[in-house]
Amino acid sequence: MADPNERSAFVGAGLKLEQVGREITVPAGTCIVRQGEPPKHFYVVKSGKLRVFRQTSDGIRTDLTELGPGDYFGEVALVTGQPRTASVEAVQDSHLLQINKEEFDWVLDHNPQLARHIIQQLSHWLVTGDRRLEQEVIHQAKLRQISWFDYVLMLGLSIVIALVFNLYNDNRIPLVQGWGEKNEIPHISLSQALQAHQQKEAIFVDARKNGFYEQRHIQGALNLPVIYFDLMYPLFQFTLANLEGAKDKPLIAYGGTISRRFDLELARQLKDKGFEKVMTLGSDYLAWPQAFPLEEGKPRKPAHIPLGLAGFLEWLPVGIFLLILIPSIRRSPYLSVVCRVLLGIIFIQFALSKIMRPGVFALNVVDYGLMPAWGVNLWALVLPWAELITGLFLILGIRTRAAATLIGGMNIIFIVGLIHAFYLDLPINCGCVGEAGEPVTWWKVLKNVGMLLMAVQIFLYDRLFVLDRGGFIWRERKI
Amino acid sequence: MKTAINPAITVGLALICLFLMGCGESRAPFAGTYQSVAPYAGKGHIKLVLKENGEGTWTLEGKSVKFKWRVSEGRIWLYTKEGGIIIVTPTQGGKILSADMTGEWHPGCPRDKCIDFQQVEARP
Repeated sequence: MADPNERSAFVGAGLKLEQVGREITVPAGTCIVRQGEPPKHFYVVKSGKLRVFRQTSDGIRTDLTELGPGDYFGEVALVTGQPRTASVEAVQDSHLLQINKEEFDWVLDHNPQLARHIIQQLSHWLVTGDRRLEQEVIHQAKLRQISWFDYVLMLGLSIVIALVFNLYNDNRIPLVQGWGEKNEIPHISLSQALQAHQQKEAIFVDARKNGFYEQRHIQGALNLPVIYFDLMYPLFQFTLANLEGAKDKPLIAYGGTISRRFDLELARQLKDKGFEKVMTLGSDYLAWPQAFPLEEGKPRKPAHIPLGLAGFLEWLPVGIFLLILIPSIRRSPYLSVVCRVLLGIIFIQFALSKIMRPGVFALNVVDYGLMPAWGVNLWALVLPWAELITGLFLILGIRTRAAATLIGGMNIIFIVGLIHAFYLDLPINCGCVGEAGEPVTWWKVLKNVGMLLMAVQIFLYDRLFVLDRGGFIWRERKI
Repeated sequence: MKTAINPAITVGLALICLFLMGCGESRAPFAGTYQSVAPYAGKGHIKLVLKENGEGTWTLEGKSVKFKWRVSEGRIWLYTKEGGIIIVTPTQGGKILSADMTGEWHPGCPRDKCIDFQQVEARP
């Protein structure tokens, strides 16, 4: 194929065109030679306009050049004997001179000037091809590059925005629950508490949510969920008033998870209401299920509230999961774009359901029983902003590999949490998209696995519509 | 082809979409004063006031507890200051509210954990 700068060189080489070939006319849109086909002819453009392009097996098309009157193409495959290296299609109705291989060989044998010109042309292409290859490699390397800065940028933004937003949010929460507060509630050891229980010398108050209480509680314990303390306290008072000898007995608040969110807070609030003898279990506060006689039942698990669009979107990762199983689609950069948009929208929805009320999400975090006290509120504040920022980065095509890594990391944490909750049969709300009405099921795990695979697909194959260090990359790239 | 786009426009559009997605349903149909159908905890009736600005009060024997509320998918969500949620299902066009005190939502509102309220006044 002739370089546009070399137009008419062929004519100027002294070959008498009328001696060989036959003239053909091709209408616009006709593909004259196809990439990969065995070569049969050499062409000279007499009039019209043609486009030379290459296309990969996964559909990425690269326009190489355009040809006009005086240009020629098809000589590379004839000289090398290899299949066509590119396709040529007519952009306008074009008039061409078609020369077969025998004629082409004859022309080369009888026109050394032309043969030399073609050799020079091929050498020129080799050199410029090397340069283009180098530029493309550098570009791709930049595109694939992940630096710590990407992670620092996204996590730093999430933390800073979360903390600033919390300052101005009507529903703000402390960074660490109970931090700086002096704990004046006395502790009681497990053995002493057990003795008091056996001798009916104390009233045990379960501070957890009703679902946990119904599932398992110390025999005879009352339930006063600390999250509804103000609303339920009158009922608690009423129950105590009807309990024989309750007036003089100490209250032992229990039900602390690893975060001790419930029992300590309940004890504080009971103390504020005027109960003098309030205690919590000491360092072995998690051991009560093994030490005490229990009353067990089947808890009411959260029922499924229709989530509307959010619920529908959550199913799409399962569909993508199936698509990823198909080898020819798995590596498609177009699938990466679809994955990015979907995952971005899903994570933004996750974020929006939690951002305004971090206190509600913090209780969801507590329910999983995996986060220590100091981390609950920080996690509840920062995670929704991390979901929002990484989701936006994915949709906008900014630092997509790093965003996909972070989203994949979050998915792994969610999957571990869900399996943990499922394994322990915790009567909790998932806290994924909605604030309530989202039972923990294996479908939730599967959806998260689907999202994890989408993140991996983006990490490995994303390269289109991205704003990388070299600028915005669109679908078609002219080289 | 390298295309220069203005990221600010894209981010702006995205934020507008987010803002629109974040808007809740109107509280107006359920704003009003309600009273529990049965006395609570051997005491009086609970008075529930839902203001249109999203604030609410739960009053029993002169003691008031403030909370916030919103409407989603036709249900009322009450938020306690500790972060607890009570999901309330309106029936009879919002004249009757059934509050699920388990903190979750269960179809039909479990009778032993349900408090029914009747509207006594629309829009306080």
